[in-house]
Amino acid sequence: MNVISHHDLVVLLIGMASMLILSRIASELARSIKFPVVMGEIIIGIILGPTILGNFAPEVSAYMFPVSGNATIALNGITMVAVIMMLFVAGMEVQLPVVLKQGKAAVLTSTLSMIIPFALGFVTAWYYPQWFGITNEFKLLFALFFGTALSISALPVIARILIDMGLFKTKIGMIIIASAMFNDLLGWLIFSFILSSMDTTNSGNEFTYTIVYIIGFGLFMLTIGRKILDKIMPWMQQKLSWPGGVLSISLGICFLSAAFTESIGIHAILGAFIAGIAIGDSVHLKEKAREIIYQFVTNIFAPLFFVSIGLKVNFIENFNGSLVLLVLVVAYVGKVSGASLGAHFGGFNRKESLAIGFGMNARGAMEIILGTLALQAGLINETVFVALVIMALVTSLTSGPMMRLFLDQSYFNNTKQIENN
Amino acid sequence: MEPDYNKLKKRSAYPFETVAVAIAFSPRLEAILMETKRMVSMFGSQLVIIHVGKKDEHHEEVLDKLMNKIGFAKIKFRVIWMEGEPIDTILKLCKLNVVDLLVLGALEKENLYKYYVGSIARTISRRAKCSVLLLTNPSINPKKMRKIVVNGIDNPKTINTLKATHYLAKNEKIADFTVVQEVNTPLLSMTIAESGTEPEVSKIKKEMQEEDFSKLNTLINSIDRQGINIDLKIVKGKPGYAISNFARQHHYDLIVFNSPDTHLGIFDRIFTHDIEYVLADMPCNLLIVHSRV
Repeated sequence: MNVISHHDLVVLLIGMASMLILSRIASELARSIKFPVVMGEIIIGIILGPTILGNFAPEVSAYMFPVSGNATIALNGITMVAVIMMLFVAGMEVQLPVVLKQGKAAVLTSTLSMIIPFALGFVTAWYYPQWFGITNEFKLLFALFFGTALSISALPVIARILIDMGLFKTKIGMIIIASAMFNDLLGWLIFSFILSSMDTTNSGNEFTYTIVYIIGFGLFMLTIGRKILDKIMPWMQQKLSWPGGVLSISLGICFLSAAFTESIGIHAILGAFIAGIAIGDSVHLKEKAREIIYQFVTNIFAPLFFVSIGLKVNFIENFNGSLVLLVLVVAYVGKVSGASLGAHFGGFNRKESLAIGFGMNARGAMEIILGTLALQAGLINETVFVALVIMALVTSLTSGPMMRLFLDQSYFNNTKQIENN
Repeated sequence: MEPDYNKLKKRSAYPFETVAVAIAFSPRLEAILMETKRMVSMFGSQLVIIHVGKKDEHHEEVLDKLMNKIGFAKIKFRVIWMEGEPIDTILKLCKLNVVDLLVLGALEKENLYKYYVGSIARTISRRAKCSVLLLTNPSINPKKMRKIVVNGIDNPKTINTLKATHYLAKNEKIADFTVVQEVNTPLLSMTIAESGTEPEVSKIKKEMQEEDFSKLNTLINSIDRQGINIDLKIVKGKPGYAISNFARQHHYDLIVFNSPDTHLGIFDRIFTHDIEYVLADMPCNLLIVHSRV
């Protein structure tokens, strides 16, 4: 049996410790100035990786984060597990009844905030693949990916902005949340299809099978699978030790589901995401158990993943100003116009619609996960990846201030007055 | 004949001037009629008895005998026999007769197939343009409802539902009823797990809860209580499921909900809508108040 050597283990542990401790410090700093915590984690990755440490102290960098060897393989495995767990948690956030309950306005906002950025991204990538350094072989898949990347939203960032602005439980807040949930669900389904298609030859049959598998698995898990999980949840919570039992069985189901989708040719992330929706929707899942799963994933595995991004990519070498600008413009125009139009057709006035548009524009961690998986699959190059990461951070940072710009004090006063009446 | 919808528009959810009962010639017929008689006598309403099916001598005789036995003599009532598809026919007759409250017998729990495909009583309760009372255990010796719980969801219809429940409580001569506010914030937990300190998390949760509580309290205080006490309770859990569970645990006789905002379809059963948790496994009788606003 192959075992990790004493030296490799020490390297792995030092690497993980530095990633966790430094990212925590950076995240706290980011939080104190109301920036997304993921920003602090990415910056630590950039500092520890080839961009800064690798440049100024290559020996230290090579010792802590070697580019090959068992420690690297182990760290890559851990970050892959982290992605699966983050998708599981992202699935737990998706509450489909919330989407259905919001009615026409949510349907219009979520549909248009998906279709318009997707179409804009697809058309840009399809007609100008050379701007992204894409060969004709992957033109279709890249165009599909770029459209999806622009349509996805970052629910945690959006929710945080809404809480800070006191809009979390208002009509605007609920529409944004419901639409972002729907965007995430559809976005990850499409992205799973793209990743699965990367592994197959382009024969029509295999595309068809992939689509049938994804739809079939999704439908099964969201109907029968969800009911079965809901039935076993009370037993788990009563008979097994608390909260350890729920935690280990829930994550076990997540890994099983991820393993199943991976084994049938769909990426593991879809299995984890759908398992998250099914478990998160259970009426029997206690709030405390949910919180523990969130804390465990977002404070241990998420930082490891986000810091590891900076370890793999040189952000200075791969920075292309014009590409970043292009991605930003397409991202803003697509998402803000799509979501605003949807909200306007759904009955909101011009200012409220624009606020909804900018609220949904935050891409945050989800975009970075999507970009990383695309980079690993060889669908995009490092320059496009850096542009996507910057777009994710800039959109997350500007969402709150832009919403405030359109929802002036009079809006908050009116809302309070209506509520009081 | 097409219903005159103008008579229904903006009509108050209460008083229940016209009560209808939809009957089938099932073993529970006598019990359902006894329960309806109690309601009609209590509210001073006129009664419409609806049977969807062929009018024949045998059924007419059975119904007449039963009515005489129960003693409907002092009650103003009409019996309507009409053939057709049961759900659409009952809904249409309710509109035509400007029914305020439709009484139906319902099983506590339907089998999975019936639940998803839709039983008659449950489908009517989802689509009716009047208030609907689903009786899970009708009795030939009906008792008054002593414990009533209302869903205090943040919705413009809730004030009408509270007033209708108050009207019901006053007629039942009960001293109090409970309003439940369900607290469910899964997204909030995730958001603050990522970027919040313990005191900050508690503060946000507390503020949100207090805001909701104060809103509902204001709503309750706007009702002229006339000696009836309204007790406000906070229950944690998924909307619909939490109140259903609460009603079951505390042995309530009646649970009161707003009518759904949208037409509920099969998706609302798969991705369960609040009221569907109650309809899936009814903890007690269910009153769905249609505000017509």
